[in-house]
Amino acid sequence: MTSILKTFNGYQLFSKHLKQSLDMIAVPVRGRQNPPPRKRHPEWLPKPTHVRYNEDLTPENKEFLSEVASLNKGLHEMPKSPLNTELIQPAKWTQGSKRTGLIGKKIGVYPLWLKNGKKVLTTLIQIIDNEVVKYIPPEKFNPVKHSKHLHPKIKNGCLVLGAVNIDPQLITKEYYGIFNSAGVTPKKTLMRFTVTPNAALQSGTPLCAAHFKPGEFIDIRGKTIDRGFQGVMKRWGFKGMPASHGVTKTHRRPGNIGSGGKKARVMPGTKLPGHMGNRWRILKGVKILRINTKYNVIWVLAQNVPGEVNTMCYLYDTILPTKKNTSPHFPTYPPNDINALPEELYTDDVHPFTEPNIEYQSEQES
Amino acid sequence: MTMVSRLWCQKTWQNLALAKVLGKEPKTFSTLVQLKTDEAIDDNDSQAQTNDELIKSPSLGNYRLVYPEFLPDPNPLFRNGIREKLERMDMLNRRSVLSIPEFYVGSILAVTYSDPHAVGKINKFVGICILREGCGLRSSFLLRNVVNGEGVEVHYDLYDPAIQKIDCLRLEKRLDDELLYLRDAPLEYSTFPFDMEIEAKISESIPVNDIKIPLNPLPWSQRWERYNLKGVKEIVVNERRQKKAAALAKPWEKYDLMKTYRETIPEEEQNEIFSDVYTKLNELEIQKNILKRKYMLQRQKSSKTRTL
Amino acid sequence: MFVPGTLFNVVSRSVSTSTVCNQIIKLTRLRVVDNSEIGKAAMMEGKPPRCIHVYSKTGVGYIGDRVLVAIKGEKKKGILVGLKQRQNAKVPRFDSNNVVLIDDSGTPLGTRIHVPIPHILRTIMRKNTHSKGADYTKLLAIATKFV
Repeated sequence: MTSILKTFNGYQLFSKHLKQSLDMIAVPVRGRQNPPPRKRHPEWLPKPTHVRYNEDLTPENKEFLSEVASLNKGLHEMPKSPLNTELIQPAKWTQGSKRTGLIGKKIGVYPLWLKNGKKVLTTLIQIIDNEVVKYIPPEKFNPVKHSKHLHPKIKNGCLVLGAVNIDPQLITKEYYGIFNSAGVTPKKTLMRFTVTPNAALQSGTPLCAAHFKPGEFIDIRGKTIDRGFQGVMKRWGFKGMPASHGVTKTHRRPGNIGSGGKKARVMPGTKLPGHMGNRWRILKGVKILRINTKYNVIWVLAQNVPGEVNTMCYLYDTILPTKKNTSPHFPTYPPNDINALPEELYTDDVHPFTEPNIEYQSEQES
Repeated sequence: MTMVSRLWCQKTWQNLALAKVLGKEPKTFSTLVQLKTDEAIDDNDSQAQTNDELIKSPSLGNYRLVYPEFLPDPNPLFRNGIREKLERMDMLNRRSVLSIPEFYVGSILAVTYSDPHAVGKINKFVGICILREGCGLRSSFLLRNVVNGEGVEVHYDLYDPAIQKIDCLRLEKRLDDELLYLRDAPLEYSTFPFDMEIEAKISESIPVNDIKIPLNPLPWSQRWERYNLKGVKEIVVNERRQKKAAALAKPWEKYDLMKTYRETIPEEEQNEIFSDVYTKLNELEIQKNILKRKYMLQRQKSSKTRTL
Repeated sequence: MFVPGTLFNVVSRSVSTSTVCNQIIKLTRLRVVDNSEIGKAAMMEGKPPRCIHVYSKTGVGYIGDRVLVAIKGEKKKGILVGLKQRQNAKVPRFDSNNVVLIDDSGTPLGTRIHVPIPHILRTIMRKNTHSKGADYTKLLAIATKFV
């Protein structure tokens, strides 16, 4: 009996403890250590309200709408432009002109072979439903200026481009308003490209992969793969410390991060652990090897285009002075002449797979 | 009570049957190299099953074995429909220029290629295919032979335009999906004459060479006792290594349906891919057969004239 | 599948079982593949030469690189003509790390190489030969077979 009582008592004690401890536990609310940078709302976009309007549509009308929307979605072939080409002012390329870029989607990496038999890895970038949404002339274009960059004195205009058609039923009326005024199908992504006024395009102009020529050099801007919080070995390629020989608990640590004395602090820019990836990076001076005009795909000579497969990237004419383009399609390739192009465009040094085998000839013969 | 137990029995039996079906299903449509050989062995038992599928899709059924490189990497991070389509188009274009024969790991191949380091010469390498890897335009294979008493291995890209000709001299399979253990086997098992001729095809199905190969004594390039090899005669290792091999064995992996799912392309997608390339591949196959028959006829004629 | 360990003890070879180094660095054992006197004697004796220096910036020897070897108590120069490690497409990989002994002027010590030699060696040897330096192309002349 006593034992039972004891155990009972013990249980009570235990439960009391448990309860007390439960009451005492207070989950600390941990705020973010570094708050994310404050986003400025793009000036050309209306303020988002995120309200779905009830349209009071009949089922038949809904069906009809979704049918119309599906017609507009996923078109790989360039739709015939309803624009009158004469409306695009034909302009001559001059030194210092800057034309628009393109919005692309990185779709994969695979090898191509050059005429000399060398195997090169190429990245495929698809240009999906690119259309001009808006042109902002230089007088009205006042972008946010960061003090650390040098600003050219020449004032450029700005083209807002959209890519990837989406179902208009899924977006808000405010967002639809941008496209309604331009007369284009609503787009998933928007991007602005600064252009000189002579490269301005009428809103609604479709842009395709033939905007670039094979052999030209481009810069590709993309968001790198997000790798999260990483140590110094992965993030900066430090060597770490030995696995054995008396090393304790410092196998992957950075070691010394500064000296003492007068400089008794960590110098700015010291390579330390932190968040790796998920930041904008530009790969400069990439050569275009091949263009498919049917599927609007560009092959570039690079295997390190920033970003994962199936993410968006932005293509510009390169700013590298030695690789600058001297005779581009200006302001863009005429959208109504697309059918005149062959399906595949190659540079001279790429071996198309339809051509016969590569045979090396001795120099005396050739 | 008996009724209840009977009912329960029936239910469990049904469940078991379902599990069995689930176990078989990924096997028949898996793209795993590992499971390919399994199927080859128990071909006879599963013939009744596979027959039905073959009737449904006459040649698409075995396309995944004949053209494994047309199936993309199953990792969803690298998948994209348009890229896969363009890659397939490029592969077909290359195949229409160079006829690439059907071959498997264990087949004997002859590759004629043009080399920038030896211009104006015919470079031909004959050897047994010991490894086939990669998908799409990256696919490659590894040939092994013994030349002047020295084992030589050469790695080729399947879609390399510098390759002039690929001949399958002997079409057969082996018991394993990789024959890398030939590196640690006596040299006579990987010796093939360079002047081998194409052997005539005897049967419709691909013959499986069930030769068992003895390994050299230790040391080896890899710990072969851990690989569950079927084409090796006996593995001689000490007790410690045996224990370690037994501890590291993963016999449950073949029941891991999720693993199979992650490492294979689903059946519907396979059908989609192969129906996309079917017409062109079929055309190429017919052309190849005509050429082969012509070659065989020529050889017969020449042999007759020689005997006369 | 497994055979008892006692049998293993009988069968096992009396060679070093340390892990195979997959690249040519200092103290790697090499195999002399020409018919030079010293090379033949060393291989027959069961004491293959060791690499004691690689004439490259990284200290790792690749195909066509010059190495200094310790052979029968002497120092000789050699050229790597076949490697065990994985090679690029269309470059052969061999089952042993092969070396051909040369003297300072690039002339091989032997008169014949009895294993196949990769085609890529022609280009590399020609590239390494300069008009006033050593002539390595003599090595190609004594090769019996190229793959």
